[in-house]
Amino acid sequence: MNRDEAEITLKKLFGIDKFYDEQWETVDKLLKGERVLLIQRTGFGKSLCFQFVATQYEGITIIFSPLIALMRDQVKSLKLNGIAAAYLNSEQTDEEYNEVISLAIENNIKILYIAPERMENKKWNETVRQMKLSMVVVDEAHTISEWGHDFRPAFKRIIQLVQLLPADMPVLATTATANKKVQMDIETQITGKITTLRGKLLRPNFHLFVIGTKSEEEKYQWLGDNLKNLPGNGLIYTGTRVDSERYANWLNNIGVNCVNYNGGFEAEKRKEIENSFMTNKWKCIVSTNALGMGIDKSDIRFIIHTQIPQSPIHYYQEIGRAGRDGKAAYVILFFNSDKDDVNDIYKDCELPLAFIEGSKPKLVYYNSVINLLKSEPLKENEIIKKSNLKQKQVRIIKADLIEQGIIKEVIYNRSKTYEYQRNAPELDSSRFEKLRKQKLKDLDSMVEYVFTKQPRMKYLSEFLEDTETKVFTNCDNTKYKKRISNPSNEVIDKYNNYINDEFPILELSTKLSNLSDGIASSFYGSSNVGNIIHKCKYETKEDFPDFLLNQSVKAIKSKLYDIDFDMMLYIPPTISKDLVKNFVTKLSDKLDIPLSHILFKNRETEPQKIFTNNYLKKDNIKGAFSLKNEKLVKQKTILLVDDICDSGTTLKEIGSMLTKFGAIKIVPFTIAKTISGDI
Amino acid sequence: MNNNELTYWLTFTHVIGISNRRKNEIISNFINNYNIIEFYNLKENELVNACNLNSDEAKLIKESHNSLSNNSFLVEDLLNQGFELIPIISKKYPKTLKKNLKMKLSPNMLYIKGDIGLFDFDSVAIVGSRTASQNSLDFTDNIAKNCYENNQVVVSGFAKGVDKQALDSILNYGGKSIIVLPQGITTFSSGFKKYYKQLIDGDILLLSTFHPNMPWSIQNAMARNPIIYGLTNKIYVAESNDSGGTWFGVLDGLKKNREIYIRYSDENEKNANRQLIQKGGIPVNMQGDVLDDVTGNKQVELFG
Repeated sequence: MNRDEAEITLKKLFGIDKFYDEQWETVDKLLKGERVLLIQRTGFGKSLCFQFVATQYEGITIIFSPLIALMRDQVKSLKLNGIAAAYLNSEQTDEEYNEVISLAIENNIKILYIAPERMENKKWNETVRQMKLSMVVVDEAHTISEWGHDFRPAFKRIIQLVQLLPADMPVLATTATANKKVQMDIETQITGKITTLRGKLLRPNFHLFVIGTKSEEEKYQWLGDNLKNLPGNGLIYTGTRVDSERYANWLNNIGVNCVNYNGGFEAEKRKEIENSFMTNKWKCIVSTNALGMGIDKSDIRFIIHTQIPQSPIHYYQEIGRAGRDGKAAYVILFFNSDKDDVNDIYKDCELPLAFIEGSKPKLVYYNSVINLLKSEPLKENEIIKKSNLKQKQVRIIKADLIEQGIIKEVIYNRSKTYEYQRNAPELDSSRFEKLRKQKLKDLDSMVEYVFTKQPRMKYLSEFLEDTETKVFTNCDNTKYKKRISNPSNEVIDKYNNYINDEFPILELSTKLSNLSDGIASSFYGSSNVGNIIHKCKYETKEDFPDFLLNQSVKAIKSKLYDIDFDMMLYIPPTISKDLVKNFVTKLSDKLDIPLSHILFKNRETEPQKIFTNNYLKKDNIKGAFSLKNEKLVKQKTILLVDDICDSGTTLKEIGSMLTKFGAIKIVPFTIAKTISGDI
Repeated sequence: MNNNELTYWLTFTHVIGISNRRKNEIISNFINNYNIIEFYNLKENELVNACNLNSDEAKLIKESHNSLSNNSFLVEDLLNQGFELIPIISKKYPKTLKKNLKMKLSPNMLYIKGDIGLFDFDSVAIVGSRTASQNSLDFTDNIAKNCYENNQVVVSGFAKGVDKQALDSILNYGGKSIIVLPQGITTFSSGFKKYYKQLIDGDILLLSTFHPNMPWSIQNAMARNPIIYGLTNKIYVAESNDSGGTWFGVLDGLKKNREIYIRYSDENEKNANRQLIQKGGIPVNMQGDVLDDVTGNKQVELFG
């Protein structure tokens, strides 16, 4: 097929007249059965390359993509063009999954998107062998490289797969962000003959700004004064989930229509937010970078980072979604130049530093997993239980040990089991150290971006080793006026009022019980609430001070005023004796909600905080709570009170128990809510 | 060998409609001129002319080209789990197996887990009935002990009775064993768990010649027996009935002039050991020592 023929078909199928030259180069190679690594900026039209080629082959094209939202959007638009496309990911029911699989086996699907983690799924591995495959695409290919900014161990298996594919099968790897090191890593890992096509990374329609502040609150205040004046819709990226919640609450409070998005939300809720953002229901979404590049919206007019990212690669990737339609987009980075007095580091760098330092668990943990596996094969949850490590830690350790050939993942009767390897090498921790140093260097480069006098686009392009020689004029170091933090008195007042009655939400509602979301009177870590609770519980053993009571009354009255509670229950303590009981007695008085003492522990439990993972937390309290009189909760709306909400496991356990005995609504309330790792 | 050849070898091995022997012949026809990838890229007429395939075979090979990409998923999965794939042309393929089984029966591909180094040891097979007598089990134990003392690997088939005793005994003495599985290698996870330590320590090698996902079956158990005989130069028979796997296996071995040592059973034992001695098996006592003075007269009277 020559270019003219291809473009006639392109017009027919996609309604697009021409390929760009670089697109055609890629398409041409793929049609000839070659392998291509395509490095092109976001918005270039990488997807069209493989989508077009896929339609020209007889069998199925499989696209490995880590971005669930993106695959959803692309499938939708392919279907609109009459192209049979589908996706498989963790959000689907078995029924949906099976339907897609059988369509694929019957060769009734042209383009199938799947999440890389599928490679670890036995069912997938069995069924893919029955499909007629024509091409394999690895989207976001930088994630196969440790040196990339979002390394995913599951992608290792995709590489292994590509190496084993028949030599004449076309393979396309794409990414928007790969410096030379990552590019070489991808090339060597994929092996075989592969052609790299590298495009320019310049995004001339970006308006790049850095806004310096002297404190975190100035960021809130700048947004309060200015967000309404930014055109269109956009994204605000924060550093943590709690920050997302707080920024979103604040903005809503001052009348900006925005929504908090969090990777921990249930799939339905995430889908709903993403969809409504597409239709401009919100001025902006506030999220951590968990939102990923998942949103396929071409007219995102601004992307604001309240938290400096870990590296310029992260940053370039995260801002990539802005202005894909080529029209102007505001790209703003806040930087609080306040420093920690003791360590002389920027407060804004504390979080990325913590990520870097915490990205690998301690070596003793690696060794304890190795030792466990030396004596018996174990599944992931068994490792977690036996080591008392967090799931996240165990996953990192597992991935590293597999990478170093120390353990392997073997299927025992359909379940993944980990085996220590005969003649396994010693753990090589120098690799972690090398990686850590690289990451620290990248963070320095990111900070340098804040203070550079260079054109900002030039700085980013050079960091990504793009050889662009054009003159860059699209930032506050060149053509645009600098923006500064200069909060109005009005916004300062609003902010102070807001802070006074900011109540964190306890997101605990599940489909499994009648437990709904609740609230806490404050964050454990903010102000000194956490310290005071800790002192009362473990040192002075005195009642919680009155200001906590008042704060709690205020929280419940302002947030839960529309709920008619029948009774108040409280969680019987493990150690702290009558503290909570005394507290709720006063609370019940003030709120005029009848207090009941029927909830009790039917066996001894350990304090939840000594367990680092949820498996053990659940085990610790499973079935541990009973009611002295079960009939009393039937048809009741209950306020369930505790001092601190950490993982929420206990509240959920009791929520299920109360549901079982007929409670119709259970609303949790705690004095404080922790940010993970607080206690 | 490059890993990407493995997809092709696995695909070739499991082409239905061409026998194991014929596949070996085809391999020896092309392997000096082409690697397996080049072989698969040949056109149908080139397969016929350059590699001596008949037209049906050439068609089957070309058809199997379609399953290459699917099989790459299977191979990836196997390698990821740590299984090794050893095609017959590999340097790692045990020479004894080729020498004993020749073109006809040497499997096109071996699937293994464990220490491949065990192929390099001198090895001994102990075979026998699934419902063996105490005498037979004691004999098996004695032979296993000898093996341990002589630094020999015991090859066994993981069946009940003698096979299991042979394995338990050699491991008990601290020796090493090759287990020839009557099933696909991935379906033996109970064994992965049970012999975890031994697999890590290099005391056990698991071997299968079947499709990796094939479940256990009686046919597989029969088909596996020649592999046990083929892997070793010395075969001890603890107990055989006058039909069944052991019986036919020994007869087949004797026909091929293999040295097969048969426990010289007591007169009152209900087995066919003495018949096998009659047919050419070498009689040994409970310790495995060769008996020179067995006349066999009584068997002649009984069965003659």
